[in-house]
Amino acid sequence: MGKRITVPFGSQHVALPEPVRFVFQTENEKIVDVEVDVGYVHRGIEKACATKFKYMQVGYVVARVCGLCAISHTLGYVTALERLMGVEVPKRALYLRLLVSELDRIHSHLLAMGHTAEVAGYENLFMQTFRHRELVMEMLELLTGNRVQFDFACPGGVNRDLTPEVEKVLREKLKVLEEKALWLRDVYENDFSLALRWKGTGVVTEEMAKEMNVVGPPARAAGLKTDVRAEFDYLPFKEVGYRMVVLKGGSIYERNLVRALEVLNSIEMCWNILDGLPEGDIKVPVKGLPEGEMFVRIEAPRGELFYYIRGSKKLILDRVRIRVPTFANIPVMKELFVGMDYADVPATVISFDPCLSCTAR
Amino acid sequence: MKEMLIETIKNLFSKPVTVKYPQEPSPPPPNYRGLIVYKEELCIFCTKCEMVCPPGAIRFTYQEDGSKKFHYNPYLCIYCGECVRACPKPGCLTQVEEIAPPESSVPDWDELEKRAEESKKAFLKAKAVAKKKPGS
Repeated sequence: MGKRITVPFGSQHVALPEPVRFVFQTENEKIVDVEVDVGYVHRGIEKACATKFKYMQVGYVVARVCGLCAISHTLGYVTALERLMGVEVPKRALYLRLLVSELDRIHSHLLAMGHTAEVAGYENLFMQTFRHRELVMEMLELLTGNRVQFDFACPGGVNRDLTPEVEKVLREKLKVLEEKALWLRDVYENDFSLALRWKGTGVVTEEMAKEMNVVGPPARAAGLKTDVRAEFDYLPFKEVGYRMVVLKGGSIYERNLVRALEVLNSIEMCWNILDGLPEGDIKVPVKGLPEGEMFVRIEAPRGELFYYIRGSKKLILDRVRIRVPTFANIPVMKELFVGMDYADVPATVISFDPCLSCTAR
Repeated sequence: MKEMLIETIKNLFSKPVTVKYPQEPSPPPPNYRGLIVYKEELCIFCTKCEMVCPPGAIRFTYQEDGSKKFHYNPYLCIYCGECVRACPKPGCLTQVEEIAPPESSVPDWDELEKRAEESKKAFLKAKAVAKKKPGS
């Protein structure tokens, strides 16, 4: 038994896109204890939503919680508000929301896959993944008018319609993207050196996932059948060919493979949406004041996103509560690290795709 | 590994995907969400845009004679376009594709917000007094 050494990982680290702090106690490379601090990017958004902004404006505020899953947060709030106030959203608006939400999932998954490759030391694959991710970013920019802050969904519908010209460009780009996504899936599945690095590293077993309430791609990679898209009816996923991707294994390799397969499924859904987009209005006016409480669950790219709102016939809501997927995945990360080699830590952290802006809000 | 090697060698001899931005222009795509343009001659001063703006980037100051003046801070604006959708007069507020230029001399927005608050209060007070007078 050697002497205990304290190794801090973060708050600033080359492997991390956002600040999170892990303090590891190690004994000869093996980790024996870990502490986590996730509150580095706290901005007090929940409090601001309940004190400063009117209920029609909160959708734009929560969109600023996170840049990567901007549509998920807006979608969560907007769906909760619509259910609370009994607004019937037009079908075309629902399908457009679904389109943007799936494109958002594609770009978030590609970012996670690229970062994991980078942390494994595969700079080349990282560049290739990000190069193809740019196609999705351009599609989203065309469709919503901005690269990250979409501001697309609003209470009662969506803000922008899909014009025939945009649809034509989307189809062209989606065709290229499908080709590239298939190639990327092939690389992530069959690359020899990546498999050596990732197979059997950071394994989350099915029992662990069940016990620790893991959500999103890490849970599905462990063999746990959990996906809010199948469990909670908030958008017509079943009509556009949604399939749940579940793999066995639970290591970093499977987590990335789940993401790659979900990207392909999302592209398939986008084709179906573009082919069968219903005609009609994109927005209905929302009148009245919110009264009562409501919660919704949304499948953000990283897993289950939970929104709770409460209003009492006032312009400003009483409470807005956001529970994000990364927060649910922190306990299992802590459990995983104990007994692991320190060298595997960066790859494991990034393979969970932590979003600290969401977690701290 | 083989596929990546082939792709890497291909990339060595292909054109770069990135745009050489300062030398070449990098135009925003059509219908990009940029600056809000205001036309005073069309405005009916309903202040609907001020009410819906999430960050409060549109403020009206009240003059002594009761007329209002429009102020817009492009550096506070989040470009959501909510004011354009709320505007009852078509063409008064429009969203263009240009973005705000980098500016060193931003007007003192805090001071303007204070002035807008105070002038609104003074205006409402004067209105209440004027209403009372003919009755009494």
